[in-house]
Amino acid sequence: MTAIHLEGLVKRFGDFTALRAMDLEIRDGEFMALLGPSGCGKSTTMNMIAGMEAPTQGRILFDDRDMASVPMGQRGVGFVFQNYAIFTHMTVRQNLAYGLKMRGMPRAEIDKRVGAVAELLQLTSLLDRPSAKLSVNILQRLAIGRSAIIEPAIFLLDEPLSNVDAAFRAVMRTELRHLQHAFRQTMVYVTHDQLEAMTMADRIAVMDHGVLQQVGTPLEVYNNPANVFVARFIGSPGMNLLKGRLADSDRGPVVDLGQLGATPPLPDALAAAARTAGAEEVFYCFRPEEISIAREGRGLAMPVTFVERIGARTIVHLGEGEETAKAVFDNDVGLSAGETAVISANEETVRLFDAASGQAIGSA
Amino acid sequence: MVVVDAAGGGGRQDEESRRLGFALTVPAQMLVLFIAAFPLLMQAYISLTDWSPLDGIGWWRAWELWNGFANYSDLATDNRFWGALGRTIIVMAICVPAEFLLGFGLAILFTGNFVGRRFFYSVLLMPMMVVPAVAGYMFFMLFQSGGPVNDILSAIIGSPVQIAWLSDPDLALFAVIASDIWQWTPLMFLILLAGLLGVPEDQLKAATLLGASWWQRFVTIVLPRMKTIIVIALAIRVIENFKVFDTFYIMTGGGPGVATETISIFIYKVTTQELVWGYVAAIGLTILIVLSVVAGVAIKYMSAQRREA
Repeated sequence: MTAIHLEGLVKRFGDFTALRAMDLEIRDGEFMALLGPSGCGKSTTMNMIAGMEAPTQGRILFDDRDMASVPMGQRGVGFVFQNYAIFTHMTVRQNLAYGLKMRGMPRAEIDKRVGAVAELLQLTSLLDRPSAKLSVNILQRLAIGRSAIIEPAIFLLDEPLSNVDAAFRAVMRTELRHLQHAFRQTMVYVTHDQLEAMTMADRIAVMDHGVLQQVGTPLEVYNNPANVFVARFIGSPGMNLLKGRLADSDRGPVVDLGQLGATPPLPDALAAAARTAGAEEVFYCFRPEEISIAREGRGLAMPVTFVERIGARTIVHLGEGEETAKAVFDNDVGLSAGETAVISANEETVRLFDAASGQAIGSA
Repeated sequence: MVVVDAAGGGGRQDEESRRLGFALTVPAQMLVLFIAAFPLLMQAYISLTDWSPLDGIGWWRAWELWNGFANYSDLATDNRFWGALGRTIIVMAICVPAEFLLGFGLAILFTGNFVGRRFFYSVLLMPMMVVPAVAGYMFFMLFQSGGPVNDILSAIIGSPVQIAWLSDPDLALFAVIASDIWQWTPLMFLILLAGLLGVPEDQLKAATLLGASWWQRFVTIVLPRMKTIIVIALAIRVIENFKVFDTFYIMTGGGPGVATETISIFIYKVTTQELVWGYVAAIGLTILIVLSVVAGVAIKYMSAQRREA
């Protein structure tokens, strides 16, 4: 078990900067997800932790040890590749034994450990099968077992579920989480799928364009996004952002949304924070799941453009042009395209972001 | 109704279309038969006779000179044939491993990145493009007693060297072997480089992360993954090398004496100088059978590999 410290990590490929000054602390035994759209630098970060690529600037420490001069074979890092990189010309047993064999471990000890790992991962009956034609979930378990058997201090997983269909992904998420508990190792998990990050990780590091946007528990990131990017990225659909100006009304401070009119009065704490921050132009933000239908005059009136049925819930698309929002309702919602809906957001979940800087105002 | 008809008549239609398919491919099949089978049968036929173009009768009347298996029994005791075969095998036993190891070494170098990689890549492939006869002439010049090879040796040793490479029966074989290695190492290099680049990068990285050294990766990942391509490369060179002719013939003419006479040069001489075509046919057929066995073993090995994978 090892903590990972990234200090001012920078990676440039020629003119392209993949990672800008990343500082991140991954705690001992923690399951950390690096989450972001493709090209955000998450895989680069992981490759540098593994030692496959050298940082342009900055340091990587495992506990107190600087990794700069430690080659990747000696970092004690387990790595599960996106395509699993199983040695398809070997049997399951040979794959599992590989790391131990390379270390020159005695045969009897290898057999013992292979047996134990195979037991844990339910691979025992498959040990002598050629690994080329195994199904994806077995390949994944094999890839994890092959890395786990050398008892790495750190486990890195590079989008291991991206080749799997949706139904299976749900099964594997649970399985992975169990395995992490079984191995009790520091795990870093790279993904672009927020559901994977949300369901499995202790903490999530959200990244975009080579910049670390926010680090926090899944709920922190969901409830209090640090900036506009995180607000839009996390959640499905993401947060609604309506641009407006802070204004005063007889009922207290509100956000003037222009054509849409004024919002209901802001909660006191939020209003105070906005005043302290000295913000003028802001984004008035709320979760699609935190919307209820209000009576005339008590909320925002927006035209319904499209009603999307996704099975369990119904997503209602509202507004046109710049001012659009999505709302998630139960299926019995009585709205249809062409109508006007008056909505109001759950006051406690409303967030404000400074329109100029994109940063959260207040609670975050 | 139409649908029912089509379904009911399925068998008949199948039969019909199969017959049509056969009819349409008959010309092509005839052509293949003519190209492949006819010369082979003709050769087999002549190999059982004493026929020679000097006899003044057409080859189809060769049965008049029928000698049964006399050509084959002569072959069994022909020292010149066995000598040529032995030399061919010696050349092969030196050239093919040398080309393989050099080519593999170069290919491994070229998987890395170094300055001038592209330039050296083109330079390396050049020998392969040279017409073998021209390569023979180049090496003929290089190995003259007053040629560059001796000049370089003189410069290294510091005293004048005058080795008669091509006219010394003990050295001539080395000279021709050198030419073959020079010309065909690039082919090995090219094939093996393609094979090396086909080894999945992820697997190599995974092996490294599991603690494998360069050599361990080479033995456990690279070689097993390249088995098939190595067999192909070796088979190509064994078969090609067995037939080597032009370079050697231009450098030494098979001489001095028979010192560099390989099987191809031997056959060429017997054909053009002694004109005993029945005998030549017997030699050719024997060699064909030997090479087929070699190729057969290689193919069998590869299909066994594929079943495993």
